[in-house]
Amino acid sequence: MTTSTDKGSTDKGSTGKRSTGERSTRERVGSARTTATPTRRESRERRSPRRYAADLATYAVLVAGALLTLGPYALSLATSLKTPVQFAREGALAPPWPVTFDNYVALFSGRYSFIPPLAITAQVVIVVLVGQITCSVLAAYAFARLRFPGRDLLFWAYLATLMVPQVVTLVPLYTMMTTVGLRDTFWGIVLPYLFGSPYAIYLLREYFRGIPADILNAATIDGAGTLRTLWYIVVPMSRPILATLSIITVVTHWNNFLWPLIITSSEKWRVLTVATANLQSQYSSNWTLVTAATTVAMAPLVVVFLIFQRHVVRSISLTGLR
Amino acid sequence: MRRTISRNASRRSTLTWRETRTAYLLLAPSLVGVGVFLVLPVFVVLALSLRQWDLITPSRFVGLDNFSSILTDPAVGNSVLVTATFVLLVIPTQTALGLLMALLLDRGLPGSSVFQVIYVIPWICAPLALGVVWRWMFDPSEGALNALIGHRIEWLTSTTLALPSVAAVAVWSQVGYVALFFLAGLRSIPQQLYEAARIDGASDRQVFWRITLPLLRPTTSFVLITGVISSFQVFDTVYAMTQGGPAGRTDVIAARIYHEAFEAFRLGRAAALAVVLFALLVAVTLLQQIYFRRRITYDLS
Repeated sequence: MTTSTDKGSTDKGSTGKRSTGERSTRERVGSARTTATPTRRESRERRSPRRYAADLATYAVLVAGALLTLGPYALSLATSLKTPVQFAREGALAPPWPVTFDNYVALFSGRYSFIPPLAITAQVVIVVLVGQITCSVLAAYAFARLRFPGRDLLFWAYLATLMVPQVVTLVPLYTMMTTVGLRDTFWGIVLPYLFGSPYAIYLLREYFRGIPADILNAATIDGAGTLRTLWYIVVPMSRPILATLSIITVVTHWNNFLWPLIITSSEKWRVLTVATANLQSQYSSNWTLVTAATTVAMAPLVVVFLIFQRHVVRSISLTGLR
Repeated sequence: MRRTISRNASRRSTLTWRETRTAYLLLAPSLVGVGVFLVLPVFVVLALSLRQWDLITPSRFVGLDNFSSILTDPAVGNSVLVTATFVLLVIPTQTALGLLMALLLDRGLPGSSVFQVIYVIPWICAPLALGVVWRWMFDPSEGALNALIGHRIEWLTSTTLALPSVAAVAVWSQVGYVALFFLAGLRSIPQQLYEAARIDGASDRQVFWRITLPLLRPTTSFVLITGVISSFQVFDTVYAMTQGGPAGRTDVIAARIYHEAFEAFRLGRAAALAVVLFALLVAVTLLQQIYFRRRITYDLS
């Protein structure tokens, strides 16, 4: 009781000073931490100088951590907004003034052809996302809701494949793709990830098992087939876990480097990470251009992350992204 | 539905048959995916490890020659050592720092969730792109780091500093992620335990060592096991920052496999190396599992 009024008043009192973004996250802390309120009330009651010192020290470390985290982003972004001459004259720490977008223009104007890699990466992510989620949903539904011989054995086998590290499958996958003539093709990049992932199947199965049987039975009695039930009942009811899995898939495949590096060789199929690595080794001393490339490679995901940060943060701690 | 089936025994077998058919139709795509792209490669890698192949001339069976040659190869020994050092540098540091940040965030001071979001940003970014950014940061003459400290240090070309520098970048990009797990773990510890300890007169230090740390054990074991598995396979960061140099000081196992297979075109040896890495990872994971199994975990749910 006291806690809630206390918290309410602090929130209200500080609203004016805070930006809206911070306010919403602040509210989140309040709602997410209902179990922890006793200690917070306690700490408020015992506002000793020692507490203040501890709070101050905490903020010092948190701010230092934030500066360390954001520093490289800020500095590389600043560098990407300088001309090479500016950079050479003023050094790495000077602010980019006057701001120039020459590096980005050069990056996209065709000379370094960064637009195809962006398009290829987007296509890879979309195709893998649709394929992987669809196949995983189908399989997870079978494992969670249907009875058939071999179910437990198969599920166990799926889980066992989680033990296989990616590095181990690289060489065999490369030789397999080469044998069937898919080396250096779009399908070579996406095929290994298209048919569902055991991890996604495992997470979805857990979720589907929680859907009340009565709802699914009602659909069956009304004459809905398996696919209809899946599409109209199971999928809409599983939005949170599907969103989580989509985020995991998008992040993983936007950032994927080793497999596209190995399986493609021509410029035509370069994804963003491979193009960035290439640009770096080709123009290693042209840091203003290279930092523009890394910014382009990272910015879309960072923006998406900041929009959905609440959901992403929750999904990471639930599932262990990747 | 199941109850209906058991009541209506005559229709039971047709329904079971239909359900089985539906199940396997639903499973078909993922069976292809898991079978062809996860299970088959394990057998292919085993078969390849017994052959000699350069992708051009036909492969030939050489028995265990690849294994005997890689196990006596000093470059492979170096890679195992480098990888182990990397793991030993990264895992304790990121776990301790992650726990520290989680404890600070868990104090629930205003703005904590903003900091939390900031710390996770590097985890979202491509390790390759971050590696390139840090390669610039570490650049001896044009990088930001030397400009900041005011004198010239050859971070990535020094044989002593290269591996710690790469490890520092790995820690930098993963601390926020580790902290997120510890934060979730801390929040699942019931507050009554802390209150009881306070009433009994426990000091902050005692509370941390006797309550917080033991009760975080499931989180700690998860963070350590997944962290070790991914650190053993590190590639992107190394590729972007040092390409295995200087003098092989950052030549991790994954980089060695890449070199053997796709630069030296010795696919048999690369496959044998992959098999060795797999065995090593399974052994390390099992050891960790046994270590954490033997310790008591407390079920609070």
